[in-house]
Amino acid sequence: MDKDAIELAAFQKAFYEGIFNPTSDSIQLACQTIQSTEAISAKDRLAIYRGSILGGMTTALTGIYPVCEKLVGENYFTNMVAGYLKQYPSGSPDLGNYGEHLSAYIATFVPAKDLVYLADVVQLEWLWHKAFNAPDIKKNKQHTKPVNELAHISEQNHSNIKFSINSSARLLESPYPINRIWEVNQSSFEGYPSVNLDEGDVKLIIWRNSSYDMCIDILTNDEYLFLSAISEDRLFGDIAEMELATSVAELLPRCLQMGLIDGFTLIEDSV
Amino acid sequence: MSERKFETQTIHGVGLGLRSSHYQEVFTTKPDVPWFELLSDNYMGDGGLPLVRAEKIREDYPITLHGVGMSLGSADPLNLEYLTRLKALTSRLEPVYISDHLAWVSADGKYTHDLLPLPYTEATLRHISDRINQAQDFLGQTLLIENPSSYLTFNNTEMTECEFIRGMVNATDCNLLIDVNNIYVSAVNHDFDPYTYLAEIPTDKVKEIHLAGYEKMEGYLFDTHGYQVHAPVWDLYRAALQKFGPVPTLIEWDTDIPNFATLRGEAHKAELQMKEVA
Repeated sequence: MDKDAIELAAFQKAFYEGIFNPTSDSIQLACQTIQSTEAISAKDRLAIYRGSILGGMTTALTGIYPVCEKLVGENYFTNMVAGYLKQYPSGSPDLGNYGEHLSAYIATFVPAKDLVYLADVVQLEWLWHKAFNAPDIKKNKQHTKPVNELAHISEQNHSNIKFSINSSARLLESPYPINRIWEVNQSSFEGYPSVNLDEGDVKLIIWRNSSYDMCIDILTNDEYLFLSAISEDRLFGDIAEMELATSVAELLPRCLQMGLIDGFTLIEDSV
Repeated sequence: MSERKFETQTIHGVGLGLRSSHYQEVFTTKPDVPWFELLSDNYMGDGGLPLVRAEKIREDYPITLHGVGMSLGSADPLNLEYLTRLKALTSRLEPVYISDHLAWVSADGKYTHDLLPLPYTEATLRHISDRINQAQDFLGQTLLIENPSSYLTFNNTEMTECEFIRGMVNATDCNLLIDVNNIYVSAVNHDFDPYTYLAEIPTDKVKEIHLAGYEKMEGYLFDTHGYQVHAPVWDLYRAALQKFGPVPTLIEWDTDIPNFATLRGEAHKAELQMKEVA
């Protein structure tokens, strides 16, 4: 970089630090280049930008995590994510990519430690957001055959099949009934919004169906293990040997019918 | 791809910035809006409902794409992944214009998602002009660059914003998106005459105008895009129409988004001004 570019980079880095890590030193450095006027000091002018930037990013997180915000309240949410904004910089121009690590952040956020389910609810909301915006077809699955061609595959080749999970689908398990917590906090929910945490653990699949409707479905333990194995790109021959209470002969048609499995490849195809 | 009613490469009249809360009403009522502006950064994914909706809008209306993600004034390298996605989106939606801002958004690869001011110096003029040229070459399309609203000026400023914009236009042959609200906000915040500013903008390069509402704060105006257009901005808009002619104009509303009828009411006010000045 030439001298001008180095100076510009240093100025912008100082400005960024003055916004996200506002210590007296970082603010002083950022304000060195900013004009003060009688009406507004350089420090207050920088603060206008701080309010705008942090406010905008907090609003974006509120859009992705409305249930979390509803559970803890607007002020609590704003204060809680303030640390996240500082600790986890946004690395993408797409604001929709920001917020991935909020669940991990909340899991270590001491003031919310009594809300034992909160991090998992937040993870559910993130996966909902990613499923909503997921590609229609996985990039590496462009040669996948539709499931209606399964009938043309000879039985001896069945063990060489790799099934494809719906490109939007995300699997999630939690020791808490997070699907119920999510459900009773939707604006469309009618009834008394009560959830008994003793209802226990859940295994979920969050996905978008072919009509672009969003779904959060409860899976049995076997369905979860079966779909996890498929999402790990394992061969059907290996999956068929898994120790499951429900046979794959029952699991597969159920998942096909729901649209959770929407394609397949033969390993010969991918060689 | 479905057949599109509008293959035109021009837009006219007063369009609306389309926000997700209004999609359903637009799909249902097919309102008589001459064009819509979509926020390109919201459609950068590989699929999903946002792109389906955008495609559906494009079947019935001409569109423009407006973004903040190019970070044209940043010292960071241009984000080629972003530009690649924008180019793919452009192929998919065929916008009449693509626009971004005279601003920087990222530092050291960290994005602020806000439009931050540049010192108006010869060095930053060369820098942003080089990057606009690179972006235009990559996209194969002339960009519209929007004037910012700002809340500070720098000690090392060497020229006015208008001088900077004229230099940028000369160096890149880019077109301009003039945000009349931004001019007024900055004029109040930095105590300059907004009409003199307008007079210094190269007329033939202005291809689109934005109108929005600011918020009055203690000692400054804040560009929230969350209100109806204020009276002084309407006055300035009238002057802009007299200078630039009936340039396609957009009602932009980003926070506390109102119902669709309110947006159309603002558009109607702009249409009346356009007719009166014609």
